[in-house]
Amino acid sequence: MIKVENLSKAFGKRREVRAVRDVSFVAPDGEITGLLGPNGAGKTTLLRMLATLVIPDAGSATVAGLDIGRDRYAVREQIGVLSDARGLYLRLTARENIRYYGALHGLTGADLDARVDALIATLGLRDLADRRAQGFSQGERMKVAIARALVHDPSTILLDEPTNGLDIMSVRALREQLRALRAAGRCLLFSSHVMQEVAALCDRIVILGEGRVIAQGTASDILSWTGAATLEDAFVTLLGTGEGLAP
Amino acid sequence: MSVLRRIATIMVKEIRDTSRDRRTLVVALLTAVAAGPIFLVLIFNLIASQADRARELKLPQIGLSNAPALMSYLVRNQVTLSDAPDDYEAKIRAGDLDVVLVVDANFAADVAAGRQGIVRIVSDRSRDRAQSSIRQAESLLRNYNRLWGGQRLLLRGIAPTVGDPLNVEDVDLATPQQSGAIILFLVAFYGLLASVMGGMAISLDTTAGERERQSLEPLLITPARPEELVIGKWLAVCLFNAIVVAITLSGFYLTLTFAPLPAVGIPFLFSAREYGRFLVILVPVILLIPAILLYVGARARTYKEAQTNVSMLMFVVSMVPAVQLFLQQKEPAWLVFVPISGQYMLLRQALRGEAISIPNLAASYVVPALLICLALFAFSRLLARESILAGK
Repeated sequence: MIKVENLSKAFGKRREVRAVRDVSFVAPDGEITGLLGPNGAGKTTLLRMLATLVIPDAGSATVAGLDIGRDRYAVREQIGVLSDARGLYLRLTARENIRYYGALHGLTGADLDARVDALIATLGLRDLADRRAQGFSQGERMKVAIARALVHDPSTILLDEPTNGLDIMSVRALREQLRALRAAGRCLLFSSHVMQEVAALCDRIVILGEGRVIAQGTASDILSWTGAATLEDAFVTLLGTGEGLAP
Repeated sequence: MSVLRRIATIMVKEIRDTSRDRRTLVVALLTAVAAGPIFLVLIFNLIASQADRARELKLPQIGLSNAPALMSYLVRNQVTLSDAPDDYEAKIRAGDLDVVLVVDANFAADVAAGRQGIVRIVSDRSRDRAQSSIRQAESLLRNYNRLWGGQRLLLRGIAPTVGDPLNVEDVDLATPQQSGAIILFLVAFYGLLASVMGGMAISLDTTAGERERQSLEPLLITPARPEELVIGKWLAVCLFNAIVVAITLSGFYLTLTFAPLPAVGIPFLFSAREYGRFLVILVPVILLIPAILLYVGARARTYKEAQTNVSMLMFVVSMVPAVQLFLQQKEPAWLVFVPISGQYMLLRQALRGEAISIPNLAASYVVPALLICLALFAFSRLLARESILAGK
C-alpha cells in the first residue's frame, strides 16, 4: 500500500521548476495503479520520491506503512523498482546481474539461488541466464531488469514507463507478469504516458498534469466524470489541450 | 554484519566486472609487465654500448699505410683498425659506421717536404650514438699531433711545453653516475606511475561508467548505503591497483635479477628487500589515487568526460618526480609529507640501499590518509545527492 499526502518537489536554483505539486493518492495492495500523464508531468520525480532517491520539499508518503523520509532504507527493502534508468552490467551474465541485487538485499546462499532460479524460470530467461548481458535485445534487458527489481520479493513495485522501447510480444509478457504480481497481492504503481497501456492494465488511474493530480479513480469513474467516450478523450479533456501528449 | 557483507558483495562484483573487461585488463597488465623492463633493457644497452665504444675504438681507415707512424700510434692505443668499405660515406649516413679515418694519398710526400699532412675524420655529427667515437678519434689525432710536434721541437733543443703552454685535462665524472641516476629515476618513477595508473580504468568505469550505462540509479535504490558503495568500490580499485603495482615491481625485479643485462656500474640494488620496501612506501599512493579517481569519476556523466578530467590530474602527478629529478637540489625535509614527492624521495632512498626511517615513512602516510578520508567522504556525499541521477 502506498499513501501519498500533499507531496511536493521543485528543482532549480530558485525552485522555479515545480515538478510535483501537492499530490495525494492511495495505491492499495492487490491492485495496479496507473500514473498517467504527458512527458514532464512529474511521474518520474514522484516515483523517485517514493523510491527515496529524491527528498520531497513538502508532504509525506508511506510505502507499506513506512515513511519515505524517516525509514528510507526500510522502504528500500520493501520496494522493487524498475526505474527510468535500467542499465545492466554488460560484462556480467543475466544471472550474475540478478544475484548482485539479491545479495545487496541481504539474500544469501540457497535462498538467493532459489529466488534467482525461480525468477529466471517465470520470466523465461533460461536460455539467457548464463550469457553476458552485452548482446541482449531491449526486451531481454528489460526482463533481466525486472528480475533484478523483484529478486527480494518486494511488497510494493514501482515501474517507470516499463513498456518504453519494447515490442508487442515483450509488452504482453510484461503485462502477464504484472497481473501475476497483482494476483499475489502486491501493490503495483505503474507510470506511463500511453493511455492504452494504462487502460489495459490498471485498476485505478491517477492522471497527472504539470505536477498536479488532475483526476483519479477507476477508468469508468473517469469516463463518467468527464462524459467522454474513451479514456483518450477524457485525458485530453482533463488536460485542457492535446499539447504534450504522446499518441 | 550486513554492512560488511554488502561491502564485500559490492567489491566482489566490481572485481568480477573488471576482470572480464579484457581490453582494459590487457592494456593495464601489458603496461605493467612489459613497459618497465623493456625500458630498463634499452637504457642498459644504451649505456653499455656507449661505454663499449668509449673503451675500444673501431676505426675503419683508408690510406693509413701512407702514415705508418700514425698507424703504429693508433695500434699502440688499442684502436682496432680495419679497411673502410668503398661506400663508407653512405654507410656513415645510414648509421652503420660511426667514423672513418682517411689519410691523404700525398701524406708522406707532403710531410717529407715539410708541409702539413692531411688527415680527414669522416663522420655524421648529428648521430648521438657516434659522438663518443668521433670525440675519441679526434682526441687521439690531437694527441698524436702534439706528440709528433713535440718530438720535432725536442730535436731542435726546445722543450715541447714551449709550443704547448696549456695543459687541458678532461675529467669526466658524468657518465656512469649520471646513467645510474637516470635508471634510479626510472625505476622509482615507474613504481609510482604504476600505482597512479593501475586503478584508473576500473575507477572510472565503476563511477562515470556506471552513470553512463544507467546502472547507478537502480543500484542506489537498493538498501546499500552510499558509504558502503564507496568503500566496496574503493577496495576493489585498490586491490586491482595493488596487483598492477606488484606486477610492475616483479617485472623490475625479474629483469634486474635474471635478464642478461650488460654489466654497467649501477649504484643501486633491487632485491627482494627493495621490492618489499617499495610496496610499503607505495601503500599510501596505492590507496589514495583510487579514492581521488573515484571522486573525480563520479562527478562526470560519461566515461569520456571523466577521462578528460582525470588526464590533468595524471599529468600533474607524473610531472612531480620529473621536476624533482631536474631540480637536483637536496630536498627539504618537509617534502616527505607531500604525497607523490614524499614517496618518490623514499623510493630513491630505498634504491640507494639507505635505511628508511620509520618516522619518515609514517610522515609520508599522514597526508594521504587524510586525503583518502576526504575523497571518500566527498564521493559518498556525491552519491547521496539528487543531481547524481541527472542523465547524459
